[in-house]
Amino acid sequence: MSLSDRIEKLFMSVQKPVRYMGGEFNAVMKDPAKVDVRYAFLFPDTYEVGMSHLGMKILYHSINARDDAWCERVFSPWVDMADLMRQNDIPLFSLESRTPIKKFDLLGITLQYEMSFTNILEALDLAGIPLRREDRTEGPFVICGGPCAFNPEPLAPFVDLVALGDGEEETQQTIDLYKKWKAAGLPREAYLKMAAEIPGIYVPSLYDVSYNADGTIESMTPKPGSGAPEVVRKAMVKNLDDAAYPEKLIVPYGEIVHNRIMLEIFRGCTRGCRFCQAGMIYRPVRERNIDRLMEMADKLVSSTGYDEISLMSLSSGDYSCLPELAHRMVEKFAARRVRIALPSQRIDNVLTDTLKETQKVKKTALTLAPEAGTQRLRDVINKGVTEDDLIRSVTDAFDQGWSAVKLYFMLGLPTETDEDVLGIADLAEKVRRCYFSIPKERRAPGLRITVSASVFVPKNDTPFQWAAQLDYENVVRRQQLLKQALNRIKGVDFKYHAPDVSYIEAVFARGDRRLGEAMERAWRMGCRFDGWSDQFRYDLWLKAFEETGVDPDFYATRQRPADEVFPWDHLDCGVTKAYLRSEWEKAMRAECTRDCRKGCTGCGMKRYEGACV
Amino acid sequence: MRALIRFGKQPRLRFISHLDLQRFFQRAVNRTGLPIAYTQGFNPHPVMSFGSALALGWTSEYEIIDIKLSAPMGRKRTEDAVRAALPEDLPVLEVRMVDDKHPAPMALVQMSDYRVRLEGDTSGAVIAQIPAFMAKADVPAVKKTKSGEKEINARPLVIAMEPLPDGFSARLMLTERESIKPDLLVALLAEMAGVATPECRIHRTMLLGTDAEGQPKPLMEL
Repeated sequence: MSLSDRIEKLFMSVQKPVRYMGGEFNAVMKDPAKVDVRYAFLFPDTYEVGMSHLGMKILYHSINARDDAWCERVFSPWVDMADLMRQNDIPLFSLESRTPIKKFDLLGITLQYEMSFTNILEALDLAGIPLRREDRTEGPFVICGGPCAFNPEPLAPFVDLVALGDGEEETQQTIDLYKKWKAAGLPREAYLKMAAEIPGIYVPSLYDVSYNADGTIESMTPKPGSGAPEVVRKAMVKNLDDAAYPEKLIVPYGEIVHNRIMLEIFRGCTRGCRFCQAGMIYRPVRERNIDRLMEMADKLVSSTGYDEISLMSLSSGDYSCLPELAHRMVEKFAARRVRIALPSQRIDNVLTDTLKETQKVKKTALTLAPEAGTQRLRDVINKGVTEDDLIRSVTDAFDQGWSAVKLYFMLGLPTETDEDVLGIADLAEKVRRCYFSIPKERRAPGLRITVSASVFVPKNDTPFQWAAQLDYENVVRRQQLLKQALNRIKGVDFKYHAPDVSYIEAVFARGDRRLGEAMERAWRMGCRFDGWSDQFRYDLWLKAFEETGVDPDFYATRQRPADEVFPWDHLDCGVTKAYLRSEWEKAMRAECTRDCRKGCTGCGMKRYEGACV
Repeated sequence: MRALIRFGKQPRLRFISHLDLQRFFQRAVNRTGLPIAYTQGFNPHPVMSFGSALALGWTSEYEIIDIKLSAPMGRKRTEDAVRAALPEDLPVLEVRMVDDKHPAPMALVQMSDYRVRLEGDTSGAVIAQIPAFMAKADVPAVKKTKSGEKEINARPLVIAMEPLPDGFSARLMLTERESIKPDLLVALLAEMAGVATPECRIHRTMLLGTDAEGQPKPLMEL
């Protein structure tokens, strides 16, 4: 029986067989005999999550634009499927051709979230690929990219290459190099050494790490004679208008998380919020021009049949010609019944005109992220938003028929006090009053205020990379404090989670190579899909740390001294450590830094040719 | 004007549920570029309907979707546009343009033809029971419905059944009140033979209604 038939035998026994089926409209099929390089792209989460991810779509279609390579998709099989695959001896396979992953030349993995790391080990194991890179003598080279690639050290024992920064060009270069390497018939290590010369490619095996007596890192240096650079600079696409962007998107059969056209209007963010890793690592800001966006949208609507377009970016309200873009989009697509959705609107930038435009096609809950409850703490995190901004946005929205508001906050930010936490409830109460300030006949009925408070996780490559995560007991105490305060306000729904996941996330966000063993142990004990609350096993994680001699507090709740060497110091994300340190010091003084659209703040990005011009 | 489109469902896509397929077609018709008629109301969607739902795991060469157009359109242009909007595993097999008064395909369906392929050691014994089954007047069976289990006489629901080397072909009733699925038929034959029910692959070859004389006729020709 063929592998394909054996796979299908399992479909009647699993939830959502559509996850493993392939054959969607616009999925790319090629003749394997006619390509030189087979590239498997793994998104280490479910199909529904992975298929909603823009980066994967961009790379999938840009690799497949080449005649000499075929990129196929792989997602983490849900636990029911993974168990059945093991019982039936079915290896991890690609969706398009159902080829075992082990037979591919390159395996690209996107690191979107620390809590998907065990899924990578699970995938390698299901594929029959040895977990540790030194044990591999054949099979695909394992390449990781995505935001977490800026601190890939916990994964260092398992990956061959790490791709830093924008993937559009460096991915192509790893493929070109693979062809060259294969044609030359060189040994496996030669590919790694040559790859270290590609801009943005970091090869963990070419570096030595030494530690101080207190467990901190003394240095990370290239192995003598390896030729690897002391500091690896990220890859950067200079002009997004010229960068690859798919004209077709795969249209799934089942429902996925974001089932719509995603149009990336710009990359990067100039705000400089001090907790935000994306705001640092995706610099500089590069906008696409309106004509190019209109052309992209037109092609995508025709090729997919979707009836909704999301304008994607880190802060869409900052797009320099947003009113014009929104207006042209709404005007052009209204007749084709296509809705335009603006995600994560910034409270200081929701333009009344824009609201009107989007409202014409769709009315959803107004989502605002003040992040902190008091002005002092918002200044600490450099969230350049005042209470007045918030009140104005909310009042405008209520006046124009909105009745649902979602407010996002973080608990445990550096310098946070109980007063800051209670400030969140205070803000919710003020939002409620805004609604009742609108005459009854003008406002939409049914006020709903949702307050969500996540637990702050200090991340590498941010000004808060020196910060301690708030300890477990205090997180729980402050959650309860806020809960009681919000209970006194009518019509407010409070959402929060146990701090367990955020704690493990904090360990890995700033982890080093020594965590690889703990991760492997946790996976062997059964940890996978750690980002899914029904799968997450805090007890197993703590056990894994204990058994491998790791103190998780060392990574999560320890404040770092100014001169500490970090596990990611040899990886250049564009923003310098000196700048991040100065931002940290300003944070401690509750001093703001301006949006760099209003003048350069000297983050270090200008060291890159073609940036910030 | 409406377009009746007959399409196939190839093995690869046999695990798409009917609900997912309906959602899929909402986007597929948008891709055709044809003048599609939309429902009125707050959340308009294309006016379309299906012939008969296909169970999960079955394949077919006789699925029908009925799409309403807001302007006249030629048959060939419609066919080309729909073909370009569907993946190769949902091949367009036949297109017919009808006027708005034509009855909905769903209302015309009375029976369906299937080809059933049996797998496993007990297949031969099951196939051998076909003449005995057809010779009976009553075959009591328990049919699972949404509201529970129902006792039925399966025999009159089977209009015809012919053995094949690896299974059988059958014409079965398919109306709201009277219907039987091929997998139930396989289970009944296995029970008669006193053997375990073999695994089966079910493929729909045709949907039929009846003409003015009451004779069976393919749905696309009615």
